[in-house]
Amino acid sequence: MQHPMPILRILGLVFLLINPVALTVFASTDDATLESAVFGSGDRKQGYDTDQYVTNSLSITARKGAKADLLKYINEPILGLPAVSQPVDNIATVEKVELGRLLFFDRRLSLNDTFSCAICHIPEQGFTSNEIKTAVGIEGRSVKRNSPTIYNIAHYDILFQDGREDSLEQQAWSPLLAHNEMANPSIGYVINKIKAIKEYQGLFEQAFDGKGPTMETVGKALAVYQRALNSANSSFDQWKYGDDENALSQDEIAGYQLFAGKAACASCHLIGADYALFTDNQLHNTGHGYATSMGIKPPKTRVQLAPGVFVDVDNEIINSVRQQPKQNDVGRYEVTQNPYDRWKYRTPSLRNIALTAPYMHDGAFSTLREVVDFYNRGGIENELLSPLIRPLDLTEQEIEQLIAFMQTLTGSNVKTLVADAFAAPIGDISKEDPNWAHDTQYSD
Amino acid sequence: MKKTLPFTWLRSTTASMLVAVVALAGSFHSNTLQADETCMSPYMAKIVGQEDYVYVWTLGVEGMGDEQDKLVTVSVNPDAKDYGEVVHTLSVGGRNEAHHSGLTDDRRFLFAGGLDSNKIFIFDIHSNPREPKLHKVVTDFVEKTGGMVGPHTFYALPGRIMVSALSNNADHGGRTGMAEYTSEGEFVASHWFPTDDNLRGAEKSGNIADGYGYDVRALPRRNVMLTSSFTGWSNYMMDFGQMLSDAEAMKRFGNTMIVWDLHTRKPKKVFDVPGAPLEIRCAWSAHNNYCFTTTALTSQMWLIYEDEAGEWQAEAVADIGDPSKVPLPVDISITADDTGMWVQTFMDGKTRYFDITDPHNPVQKYEHVIGSQVNMISQSWDGKRAYFTTSLLGNWDKTGKDDEQWFKLYHWNGNQLEHQFTIDFYELKLGRAHQMRFGAYSLYSQAPNSSDTVVSQLDK
Repeated sequence: MQHPMPILRILGLVFLLINPVALTVFASTDDATLESAVFGSGDRKQGYDTDQYVTNSLSITARKGAKADLLKYINEPILGLPAVSQPVDNIATVEKVELGRLLFFDRRLSLNDTFSCAICHIPEQGFTSNEIKTAVGIEGRSVKRNSPTIYNIAHYDILFQDGREDSLEQQAWSPLLAHNEMANPSIGYVINKIKAIKEYQGLFEQAFDGKGPTMETVGKALAVYQRALNSANSSFDQWKYGDDENALSQDEIAGYQLFAGKAACASCHLIGADYALFTDNQLHNTGHGYATSMGIKPPKTRVQLAPGVFVDVDNEIINSVRQQPKQNDVGRYEVTQNPYDRWKYRTPSLRNIALTAPYMHDGAFSTLREVVDFYNRGGIENELLSPLIRPLDLTEQEIEQLIAFMQTLTGSNVKTLVADAFAAPIGDISKEDPNWAHDTQYSD
Repeated sequence: MKKTLPFTWLRSTTASMLVAVVALAGSFHSNTLQADETCMSPYMAKIVGQEDYVYVWTLGVEGMGDEQDKLVTVSVNPDAKDYGEVVHTLSVGGRNEAHHSGLTDDRRFLFAGGLDSNKIFIFDIHSNPREPKLHKVVTDFVEKTGGMVGPHTFYALPGRIMVSALSNNADHGGRTGMAEYTSEGEFVASHWFPTDDNLRGAEKSGNIADGYGYDVRALPRRNVMLTSSFTGWSNYMMDFGQMLSDAEAMKRFGNTMIVWDLHTRKPKKVFDVPGAPLEIRCAWSAHNNYCFTTTALTSQMWLIYEDEAGEWQAEAVADIGDPSKVPLPVDISITADDTGMWVQTFMDGKTRYFDITDPHNPVQKYEHVIGSQVNMISQSWDGKRAYFTTSLLGNWDKTGKDDEQWFKLYHWNGNQLEHQFTIDFYELKLGRAHQMRFGAYSLYSQAPNSSDTVVSQLDK
């Protein structure tokens, strides 16, 4: 299946050709390498479904970037987005951003020192993971949902796919403590670990008026970093809110008109007069969750073995090596226990959607085409299907135009945000750290 | 009656000089540097006769026994009164995804890795071969290597251990490299695998340069090192059934092998070998300039060989079982005379014996179901004893009644395998049995069941 990224890159090249400023910015070899590294995994798999697959891989060591002034993405509204709302008791500062970033990339903040936030929210993969459908936590434990992107997370009223949190400051602790994510045994364990790592010495006190690492300050620091990851001023924004009538092609404009009109995507993925969040901050039943919970699978699963090599494997064989039964997922119901909330999931923002495959709450769809096809069919009928979901009767051309429009939603500062993330040190255990798992008799 | 080669431990500096001399000479006298279990590094000291112990690197299981990884020592000398029994266990803390282990050139230490925790446990197996001690734990593998994750193969070079990795700390994908450590466990250097943006001087001979890693082996007489490619942390730690149903994840498997210059550690040529080439086993004879691998997903046997023009080539030479049923070939082992190769297939629990007298045309001669699942094999130098274990990866093993975890010994009479004993690792609450390495008193000039050195043997 065609991945959306090549189209995006072509658009990027076109952008370079028509924009002399951009040509200046990306002129050097280093910048060209960075430009190549920030949009998607360096382990590129476009064309992997054929035996003509040719790699265009990037080395891990090419992940080099430069620290950016992230605070301005909180304090200065970006074209297409509203002002960032901040809690009065956690106003962003440079010190908080930098501390939050340090924590975000620190793999030591997990029970066995192997998992940071960034392992599931990978910067160049849209701050999600393009390489797996559903997240995998510590010791390989299964997480039943796709890692959501954290781009523009500041503009969500509800957090997680089931909306179970409403504050970034609080949300940060869920993955830190979840048994199948970072698996820390307690809040105190995390706090004590941070206190023992020399890189954090004095940083909390500096950021929080003398207050050291606590449950509150850890949550606040992580919240501020994530709150800074705002990305807009896309081609669409320049066309819609920037009065640049040439920012979109005719097909993209047609796609926008479908998005707001016939296809009715904008009923949930809101576009306002002054800005567009592309989410209504609500939860809906599209039928996808229902089908996954209640549907009957075919007896075989198509499995890819190598480029262009597929086999249909009996599910009996697959189940023989499935460690745990596939976890059921009833969506919002799991939070409210209200039967009317079964299989409702949060409306994701579509900003940077070209960067955040795979799609849906469980990553079931690899491409935007599959997503549009699903909605074009009217989702999947069930007693709780949102009345907003109905067959769309889109033509082939209209589907392509709709997809073309969604690919104009990539923010202009993605490169800056990802490069900033590349510049962040990855916190790995070193000899400077306490040897928490082994007595000194085993160390040097 | 044990036979013992001279104890040939070299200090690392001396050993480093030796490898340089070997490389410059371009030839290698296999008779002077040998190993007991076949397919081991030719730089290692060797047990000629009967091994006394097999060390089994074992995965802890949540909810079972002490739940942590351990080195299990099994007595395997038929003359011992505890023959066929577990005589010692050493728990190391945590479930590290215990996987492979490797001996130093002098065989005094066993390096054992954790694919998840990235720890390297270095066991002293010479002070008392019956009761290994945890000598040192390397906890900073990721930090020292600059971001490699999943220390996999530990392969002895003179004074060095080459450690191939599986993943990285940036995205937990498959791009990775290999690290060089001293036999004392000190980091020396990182060698990243070639990717398209930086082939590091290698020739991309086909379509693929994925930068993935798995095994590492050397043919010193040809100054060649070979590496293969598997998958990254996100896949090897994922529930196997879940992964098979994840179309994105299934794209993230290695499809390459790399020929390296052993002396300079520089990659020379990247081959397309589609479908996750895993274990590499090299021929032993002085004139057999080739190695084999098998592809886990596409179930093929591949030959990596030096042609008459001196150019290295990769060729698919046989199918293993019915590839459409994905039998999943895992560990392989070549006989000491290079005429036969054992191939384990995990899904059907079989071991298969191939005649590889003509390496370009292997022919399967025999197969036997070892159990509901099988992974590793270690065969003795004389080919008469074959040990088998079960576990593949903590989250890939079979479930329910098919999740057998054992250590088995078979005798091979040339025509068929004869079962000798089974140790049920679940019944003993030990965990999942994975890789095996041999130990013997004779290596250290010790009498059986003693930690005392028999001085009189040192000069033999």
